Amino acid sequence: MSLMLTKEDLAKYPFLKQTTSYVERMQLNLGDLAAVEYSGILRKALTRIKDSIERNVRLTDLTDPESEIISYPLALALVYGSKSNWLLNRFATIEAKRVEEELRKEPRDKILEIAKSGFSWEIENANLKLEWEEFPFSIPLQSYLEVATSFNDAHWKLVNRYVKGGFVFLNSGSLTRLVSEGFKIRIIKRASERELHKFRIPEALIPYLDEILMHAQENMRFDEELPQGLVSEARPPCIVAIMEDVKFGKSLTHMARFALTTFMVNVGESVDDVLKLFGNVADFDEGKARYQIEHIAGMIGSRTKYKPPKCDVLRSFGLCIGMDEFCRNAKHPLNYYKRKLKIMSGPGGQTGARDRKE
Amino acid sequence: MHEIVRNEFRRYYSGLREEDLEVPDMPQREYAFLQFGGEVMIRHMKFVNPSSLKEYIVENTPAHIYHSSAYYQMPEATDMNEKGWLGADLVFDIDSDHIRTECKDRHDRWHCIECGMGGAGFPPESCPHCGMKKIDTRTWICEDCLQVAKNEVIKILDEYLIPDFGVAETDFEVFFSGHRGYHIHVRSKTFRGLSADGRREVADYVRGIGIDIRSHGFREVKSRILVGPDMKDGGWRGRVARALYEFVNRASLEDLKGIVAPGVAKNLFDNKEKFLKSIESDPPYWGSLKGYTLESLEKIAIASIKDLICNIDERVTIDSKRLIRCPNSLHGKSGLRTLRVDYSSIDDFDPLKEAVAFRHGSIRIYVKEAPRVRIGDEELGPIKDKTLEVPLALGLYLICRGAAEPR
Ligand code: SF4
Ligand SMILES: [Zn+2]
Ligand SMILES: [Zn+2]
Repeated sequence: MSLMLTKEDLAKYPFLKQTTSYVERMQLNLGDLAAVEYSGILRKALTRIKDSIERNVRLTDLTDPESEIISYPLALALVYGSKSNWLLNRFATIEAKRVEEELRKEPRDKILEIAKSGFSWEIENANLKLEWEEFPFSIPLQSYLEVATSFNDAHWKLVNRYVKGGFVFLNSGSLTRLVSEGFKIRIIKRASERELHKFRIPEALIPYLDEILMHAQENMRFDEELPQGLVSEARPPCIVAIMEDVKFGKSLTHMARFALTTFMVNVGESVDDVLKLFGNVADFDEGKARYQIEHIAGMIGSRTKYKPPKCDVLRSFGLCIGMDEFCRNAKHPLNYYKRKLKIMSGPGGQTGARDRKE
Repeated sequence: MHEIVRNEFRRYYSGLREEDLEVPDMPQREYAFLQFGGEVMIRHMKFVNPSSLKEYIVENTPAHIYHSSAYYQMPEATDMNEKGWLGADLVFDIDSDHIRTECKDRHDRWHCIECGMGGAGFPPESCPHCGMKKIDTRTWICEDCLQVAKNEVIKILDEYLIPDFGVAETDFEVFFSGHRGYHIHVRSKTFRGLSADGRREVADYVRGIGIDIRSHGFREVKSRILVGPDMKDGGWRGRVARALYEFVNRASLEDLKGIVAPGVAKNLFDNKEKFLKSIESDPPYWGSLKGYTLESLEKIAIASIKDLICNIDERVTIDSKRLIRCPNSLHGKSGLRTLRVDYSSIDDFDPLKEAVAFRHGSIRIYVKEAPRVRIGDEELGPIKDKTLEVPLALGLYLICRGAAEPR
């Protein structure tokens, strides 16, 4: 079974094989797209990026599908050329949201067709009808896990899915989410490929790139910056528990120590403050500990700042101790912390409840 | 370590057939060794065929031999990035040390390094007296705990890997580790590329971690009428349904009272027949009892799946670059072989007999202290402070365990 995909479809779904070959057939050169005759396309590409900077989810502009189709690779090139991870994430997120909105309006058969063409997943028309529910699709376990591990909600965990014979069974809504998230991941992953590291935007497009970066800069400031220092009230239960252990001088497992250290460093505590915290612990070796913390903080060694492990990881190591209301939606202890902070500083919350030490 | 152990190991390896060291895609794997008495792992070794591996082993006679679960472009590279990870087997490690068994009261001891408190059986996570986590253990294995471990292997395969994950009989191998448990290696190409996050999901799946019955179709329609899955359903969906059914069927009033509010427990107990009937009906209903809610059902569900979840060391499954024991190598802490188990006859597999590497000869040893042990058909102990002549395999076992010395 193969449905005809229209030009409008190609405009809506840039990740389709058909879309890619359509663009390739036009043999366009990135530098040429700055010329006046393409100004319409350039404008569209810039709007796409502007929308993602401002978090506007807009449906596909189908007045001229062809220029919409070409505007995507151009926008993507500008985003990659910006070398800004912030912009990359925004762009991927908003594009994925747009795709999700579009897919929601499609009939089942078409969703299947799109998913198959866009990804090398062996999705099948499973048509599984259960007592109270239907699962029209099935996808191989490993393809499911490629994408689903990046979702937060409990119902995306494999253990909460209908898994049989190596396949995960899905309804239309789930497949739609999986496809749009798969698209997002693909955009982000490609940025770290080697060839893209060397990628430079053609001269003619540089003024536009500068404009984008300025716009991004303005918006970035509004993003929740973490405060410099721990706000005790916003700590997630797992971190509270580890800190309790520390207070009573219990020795910590490697994972507990790592979780606590990364957490503290990421909320803006200094290496000295984190060290002080460990002072109580029985098997404490300051020199070694300092080295580890500085390493984690990205001051030495690989220079990447380590993040605390995800809730899933902490759970597997028995460190996740509670599910309060914030935990329910948190995938990550830092996430929990940010969210609680936001609520605390919102209307009625206690603002500036910083926990600076003497 | 005693020269005599090393010599016996060398003799064993010299007599080994090369094909016994065969591992699929050997040239893409990293090999690693731990020498007798050594603490530093010799890593990043590559062997293109079993004969070069054998040559190396006979010459160096290590106490432990490992290969990577991962496949690499350049297994010999020392830098992870240079190695070029291509994929990895999916590994399940079942270690009787991690499973609470009654026999542990007979053969295991622990004591707190900090305050000296101690006891028999499964060690506590932290000292009940001083709260410190520095617990020293002296653990042994016996037929009972190895049997429990074997049951776990069968459970993982028959309940999860084969029906749910679609793993074919030709796609996995089971090994006795040579000491405390078993490994399952799933080698099918489909799982090779799984990321660490994906592997974690797989581990959580067989451990039932994070299960939410609402995702499996249990919900309230109208007030107090619960619907849910059919016992015939696949995956966790049907598994939870069957477990709940069985549990309620067998539960005493006291059992239920330990889980849900007394009123609900009584109500459920008194209406058991009707409740079970409605689950069997098509489509199934999951009850409409006074005071009983989705939350009560959830609590019972969690209690009912306790025996269905698998006891694995999840760190091994999650790690996509794990080092695992090489087939037919000797375990330096037992002198027993890492042995492939034929899954079709796993029920009859007796690890303490079939993994014996030294079948002839005897040795005179001094035993400091040991609980009852059996190696092959020989039994000994409990024993303390004695010198005696024992069959070689048993003697080496006790020496490798650190409980005896050659005399
Ligand atoms: S859900 Fe996450 S944040 Fe909450 S306690 Fe568990 S690990 Fe910590
Ligand atoms: Zn103690
Ligand atoms: Zn035992």
